[in-house]
Amino acid sequence: MSSFLHFSEHTLQEIALVFMATAYFLRIKWFLKWPLAKERQPATGTGDTNPKKGARYSLANIIRPWDMESTRSKPSMYIQFALFHLGVVAAIALSFIIPYGPGLLKSSSAVFIIRFFTGAACIIGVMRIIRRVTDPYIRAISSPDDHFSLVLLTVWFAFAFMAAPNNISGGEGIMMTYFLLTAFFLMYVPFSKISHYLYYPFTRTYLGRHFGRRGVYPMKRKPAYQMNK
Amino acid sequence: MNNGRSFKAQKVIDRMGQKLTRQMVGSLTACVHCGMCTDSCHYVLANPGDPTYAPAYKADKIRKLFKHHYDWTGKVFPKWVKAGSVYTDEELEELKDTVFGKCTNCRRCTVNCPMGVDLATFNRMARGLLCHVGIMPEGVEYVAKEQWEIGNQMGVLKEDYIETIEWQEEELQEEMGDPDAKIPIDKKDAHIVYSINPREVKHDPRSILDAAKIFYAAKEDYTMPSEGWDMTNFGLFNGDDDLGGAVASRVYDKVDELNGKKLVISECGHGYRSTRCEGPNWGKRDIAFEAESSVITMLRYIKEGKIKVDKSKNPGAYTFHDSCNNARSCGLTEEPRELLSLVVEEFREMYPNRAENFCCTGGGGAMSMSEYKPERLKSAKIKADQLTATGTHTVVTSCHNCVDGLNDLIGHYKIDMEVTQLVHLVANALVM
Repeated sequence: MSSFLHFSEHTLQEIALVFMATAYFLRIKWFLKWPLAKERQPATGTGDTNPKKGARYSLANIIRPWDMESTRSKPSMYIQFALFHLGVVAAIALSFIIPYGPGLLKSSSAVFIIRFFTGAACIIGVMRIIRRVTDPYIRAISSPDDHFSLVLLTVWFAFAFMAAPNNISGGEGIMMTYFLLTAFFLMYVPFSKISHYLYYPFTRTYLGRHFGRRGVYPMKRKPAYQMNK
Repeated sequence: MNNGRSFKAQKVIDRMGQKLTRQMVGSLTACVHCGMCTDSCHYVLANPGDPTYAPAYKADKIRKLFKHHYDWTGKVFPKWVKAGSVYTDEELEELKDTVFGKCTNCRRCTVNCPMGVDLATFNRMARGLLCHVGIMPEGVEYVAKEQWEIGNQMGVLKEDYIETIEWQEEELQEEMGDPDAKIPIDKKDAHIVYSINPREVKHDPRSILDAAKIFYAAKEDYTMPSEGWDMTNFGLFNGDDDLGGAVASRVYDKVDELNGKKLVISECGHGYRSTRCEGPNWGKRDIAFEAESSVITMLRYIKEGKIKVDKSKNPGAYTFHDSCNNARSCGLTEEPRELLSLVVEEFREMYPNRAENFCCTGGGGAMSMSEYKPERLKSAKIKADQLTATGTHTVVTSCHNCVDGLNDLIGHYKIDMEVTQLVHLVANALVM
């Protein structure tokens, strides 16, 4: 292994992680300085829910696609969403496994799992790029950041897929590109839409507490008075 | 001009910083432009191929201001994240057409957003920013002024209100055959203080009579207030928290003055939401008494045996339209269904329903914005199809605004259907 690849796998990643953590810390600090609107209304609804239940329901929405019409009516979009994000998890995990636990990649099953998710995510990334460019609704709301983030992730998935076997006998190019992309990704994320996961717990909790207090969450499908019988 | 910006545009930008809450900032920051909300909007469905109606597109009109002025990613890389500002009054007028004319604040996109972005809440905020500098549809301005000045949104004078109640009291005495039947006004220490929508006084006094019949049958100790009786609130529609707080406080103060135990709010979606839910937030005060929808009151009367009903008096099939404010903002979805099934021969569900129901298209104050009527009625095609698919000839709703919105679209799309409210059906089903 060349000293530059070693630097890319270790020191560069650590610098990028510290940078990302600092940017996230500042971002959260900025977010929390905004005043939290107080809900004074006495609870409404059928009395079978409350802000805590609402928040739990709202946060669990990510694994309950049947709860929302938008995901219920488009199961393929939900599957794409799930695979794409599992691909992110696999690609991030790989960036830690290679430098700190390369032994794990001696298992062909582990390599297969990482390649399955990063490969699927890469294909979905291409589909999403096409959708973002061709669907008039999505194109109209897309910013340069939306396009760039998607392309960046898709390319990153492709290199994660290729780097997963952790074999540099054929050259260091793929491994080097994967780690340089990972470092760039870590430093770019706090300034891009990719950081949406930072806000997810907040937005879903606030909305869940609000709707829980008002008896809207959990959403009802069947009359409560029939369920009680 | 300030930084090349008009006085009004600068005011909008400055005030935005004062109105933002953490919940709103979360919603303004978290959108990933996934487009999952697109098909949830009735405007989109009725205007295929036009992305300017998409919730995320409309939200970005407001979001770009937030990013440009209050979010450092937008300050540093404005073009990269589509941040932008407003400079002219014409641009504010365009924003007005989006926040008032292309959205009824129904919150259907909110419950369909995977990220939990609440567009309706910051759309309302944007309405408030524009109203603050006098940019709003004429009808909204007029109604808000009536509510500030006269105390109710239809400019009903106190003497006309009292006269209408006295007239309905005479009707009550005649129909009940009881010369002592009363509709009390300003009775102290009553168990219930009954607040209504001015539309009932002006266009639908029968609903006052029907409510009085139900109270009479239940032997309820109630009163109607001589002032602070309007539970509707244009503050919800024009985004003016001060108006919202003032109007709600008028109602609360009167209940306190009369020492009422419970405030009952007649069937009105935005009135229920404003008085029951948002009023304490806008007025920054807690209320010491209970408040409930008349739907819950009527249902309780039946369950407690205080009134008896015969569903055969309302023959045929009925469907139910959920008011957005009742269903998506107050969780009032089950009680009206239970009540309806007790007072009509056949209740047929409309699909989708409850918190997934489509807006009647008269929400968010749209009925007062005549300049957007063509777009509103076009978007009403979605509701019209929903109504037709039920195969019924009567749609029931617990909202005066929805009654008008539904009647408008039923006429426009020539549907053989009539609109009624639960109070009428319960009163008609009474067994005295």
